Amino acid sequence: MQPIPIEPEAAGEPVATAPFEVRLEVYSGPLDLLLQLIESRQLDVLTVPLAEMADAYVAHLATQPVASEQLADFVAVASQLILLKSRRLLPGEPPPVAAEGEEEPDEEELRRRLIEYRALRDAARALGERDGVSPIFRREPRESDLPEVPSEPLPAGLLAAALDRLAAIPEPVPPPPEVVKREVTIAMQLAMLRAALSARGQVVLQQVLAACRSRTEVTVTVLALLELVRRRQATVQQDELFGPILVQALAGEEAT
Amino acid sequence: MTVAQELGAFFEALLFIAERPLTTPEMAHLAGVPAVQAEASLAALAEDLEEDRRGLRLQRHDGMWQLVTAPEVGERLAAYGAREEARLSPAALEALAVVAYRQPCTRGDVERVRGVDSDYVIRSLLHRRLIAEIGRRDTPGRPALFATTFTFLERFGLTSLDDLPPLSTEAAAATALATMVDADGG
Repeated sequence: MQPIPIEPEAAGEPVATAPFEVRLEVYSGPLDLLLQLIESRQLDVLTVPLAEMADAYVAHLATQPVASEQLADFVAVASQLILLKSRRLLPGEPPPVAAEGEEEPDEEELRRRLIEYRALRDAARALGERDGVSPIFRREPRESDLPEVPSEPLPAGLLAAALDRLAAIPEPVPPPPEVVKREVTIAMQLAMLRAALSARGQVVLQQVLAACRSRTEVTVTVLALLELVRRRQATVQQDELFGPILVQALAGEEAT
Repeated sequence: MTVAQELGAFFEALLFIAERPLTTPEMAHLAGVPAVQAEASLAALAEDLEEDRRGLRLQRHDGMWQLVTAPEVGERLAAYGAREEARLSPAALEALAVVAYRQPCTRGDVERVRGVDSDYVIRSLLHRRLIAEIGRRDTPGRPALFATTFTFLERFGLTSLDDLPPLSTEAAAATALATMVDADGG
């Protein structure tokens, strides 16, 4: 790759607009993206006029959208770049001097952040290269590594006293008999459906369900019906949406 | 055995049976010597282990010591330990690097350097015990301060934080400047 020469005089010819086919690595944030754009052009982060990176940065964002939760961070850097670029395009307008206590996002501030970011990114890469390569192990805690060991032997009487206290604790009261009665089971509803089918050959599901006394019973009845269908002892048919659901017995239904 | 050798041997044995990192005062107390003497003895022991190319090293972090295996044998030991750790993402490594080089630091510090929301990666680093909360900064909101852990040193084969490769000089200057700016800005 040929390095692109930068000529500080040619401010009207931003280098960043040159068509450039570069595949960037996956970038982990706005500063990473900007840095990769600079480095892929073989420019020096210490000297490159950052304003000239505005177009490339925005163009890259337009073609490779970032996750919405990160978008604000990317837009923040984009707006700084566009501000730098617009200052360049307006001749005779001196860059505003940062008022005291006010953070004016000027070029040097952004450059400083880039340099700092680059160092930590490189450190992160170096860390990544040694990740788990030659790990250090410590002794795994053993079961005998009790958190605290009594400093003096305990009198045996203590154990007897503890047993006495334990004996004084009344036996737990037996739990009351089951209070929730199972009213309906799938087996019951299977039998009910089979009886209805063998009597009439076919039933309408809505009518069966209308006779149910609780929501649970409705649920169990539908489950029982599905079981019948699964065992190929009945078929269901519904000709129109919300219409009656016809349940018909299939031959050989007696085989259970 | 000289007195110094005896003290070194005692510390070596003590650290061998210890199931957690021990502090210098704790060990000095057990040995019945002043903390300064314990400190010197432990430093000498650490040096001896390294110079003799032994299989064990003395690891130091945050005023605590533990006896660990040497990084040189780590690769082959990993087969015994059979610890399969998922690799860290570039984002997680970045956040970890910021904490490692600027500790103690807050989530805000990490985000300032990375320029991107880092809540999720910080939490994943905490979950992996590579960093830990060690206190809170005395600024509005009292944000949590994070530092690296023994687990971090172990995973990356470092005997202490001094083994971290230095940041490039220009970056070190920038980091120093940023610290000053942070201090000014509150």
